Amino acid sequence: MNKLTALPPHTGNTSDPGPQIRASITEDLRRARAKLRMIMREVNNWHEVSSQSSLNIVAALYGIWLPIGASAGIERVVVVSKGHMAPALYAWLAAKGVIGDDELSTFAMPESRLQSHLDAGRLDTVVTNSTGSLGQGLSIANGIAFAAKVDGVRREVAVILGDGELDEGQVWEAAATASSLGLDNVVAVVDRNMIQHTGPTEAVKPKEPLASKWEAFGWYVMEVRNDAVDIAAALENLSHVKGKPKALIVRWEGGRW
Amino acid sequence: MVVIVSRASSYRRALGEALVEAGRLSKDVIVLDADTPNSTGTAAFARKYPGRFVNVGISEQDLVTTAAGLAIAGKVAVASAFAMFLMRAWEQIRNTIARDGLNVKLVGTHSGLQDFMDGASHQCLEDIALTRVLPGFTVLAPADAAATKAIVLDTVLNHPGPAYIRLGRDNAPTIYDEGEEFPIGGSKVLEDAGDVVIFSYGPMLGVSEEVAKELRRRGVLAGVVDLYSIKPADSATIVKQATKAGLVVTIEDHRVVGGIGSLVAEVLADTATPRKVLRVGVGEVFGASARSYEQLLQYMGLTPSRISSIIMGEVRWA
Repeated sequence: MNKLTALPPHTGNTSDPGPQIRASITEDLRRARAKLRMIMREVNNWHEVSSQSSLNIVAALYGIWLPIGASAGIERVVVVSKGHMAPALYAWLAAKGVIGDDELSTFAMPESRLQSHLDAGRLDTVVTNSTGSLGQGLSIANGIAFAAKVDGVRREVAVILGDGELDEGQVWEAAATASSLGLDNVVAVVDRNMIQHTGPTEAVKPKEPLASKWEAFGWYVMEVRNDAVDIAAALENLSHVKGKPKALIVRWEGGRW
Repeated sequence: MVVIVSRASSYRRALGEALVEAGRLSKDVIVLDADTPNSTGTAAFARKYPGRFVNVGISEQDLVTTAAGLAIAGKVAVASAFAMFLMRAWEQIRNTIARDGLNVKLVGTHSGLQDFMDGASHQCLEDIALTRVLPGFTVLAPADAAATKAIVLDTVLNHPGPAYIRLGRDNAPTIYDEGEEFPIGGSKVLEDAGDVVIFSYGPMLGVSEEVAKELRRRGVLAGVVDLYSIKPADSATIVKQATKAGLVVTIEDHRVVGGIGSLVAEVLADTATPRKVLRVGVGEVFGASARSYEQLLQYMGLTPSRISSIIMGEVRWA
């Protein structure tokens, strides 16, 4: 049962965390975009759009949400489900100096830690799970979140999902499970970039009304525009929502890719 | 005295007992099921440790992947379902559990022909083939209730990493005494190889013992070896016992392709051990619904008398 009496506003509550954070994240993102272009030039723009649309989400989660959690004493975990956005994460890590340009240039090489899809066996300091097969991340996030409930520890788990990925039935199996177990320490961040492998999502297999679908599965839903600081602010707001798993739909408003 | 099937002996009841004991010994053990706890036996754990039990509903892909998440968080996740429907999640098992070497114990019940009533859709004849190809996986198939208890408890508590444990339903033979140990990578030579050696596992081990008796009545000495550890397999014992015998026989309630029919042939080929391998099991057909386990074994041609006759035909030719 939902124990909430008063829910935060349904959409648009994206109070600015401050001009300082906004300025520093903007600079990090500028460098990350340059790194991403560097990777893409070498691999014939492999899943380029997916990485481009995920970069703000990566910045929000790895650049703001995780550090805030660490300083506030909240254990926070990021699970990546749409593993083909790996270049966005690598570009971000390179922009932050976690990996060097030399290593970045080994992207997708057989011996590289930077596999085309995130590989936990090679990059276990950064990623929790190997990826490449879609539709599994939410189940993984649920497991990590449920373990915290069993142990009575405060842990929040964010999982990055693609919108095309929502075609996978397992996502909805997991959505029902999160709701049924009352996993209010799970937040699904949906990269609503409006495009999937064949073309526009609404032409391939319509996802809308997307917010209603998550709500029907017992989730608390927020929508936000694809901006790193706005996403981070929305995530902090969602952190206070109790009693339900939460979905943050990150809408691309930049027109067609 | 070996009993082929015993109403009193049950794989799933043994599973429930083993999990309760594992849960008592380690608070990190979490058990998951997909709406079949009463059928698989995990209900015993759910009653004892409700806070560490998850019923994800009828969603096996979510079942095994949620277990993966629990393992990532440091838990020992035991996911149980009918063997057939666990295999629905094979790609998740392969890409997440095997690839990341996660500490998830998959327990498939109702395997082989044990779910006689439910018919072809439920009779899983491919699970060993599908799991033994996975890098880093341990694959175990206990023959009776005592073996089930020992193997489940040992695997869950003492062997981190991915494992598949293949269980039947209720019709378990009674072969071992309580307290017998089953080390991973081992086997049990129940009777030393004679003219023939039979390799088997699971419920068909009871059938194999009956086959050996029947052969003895017909003047043929047959050894019986329990290959409960299918991966890693006890290759040394397979080669040693096969070398002693003139004819090697594998008996299983699984497809001979990919099962121990394949396993034994691979080991003998790799070691250049020149023996004919008579592979008894299920070929290019599916199961069927039946009123009893015995009736289904009869229909599938896997009764002791039928198998004995096939072996006698081979022995005469040899």
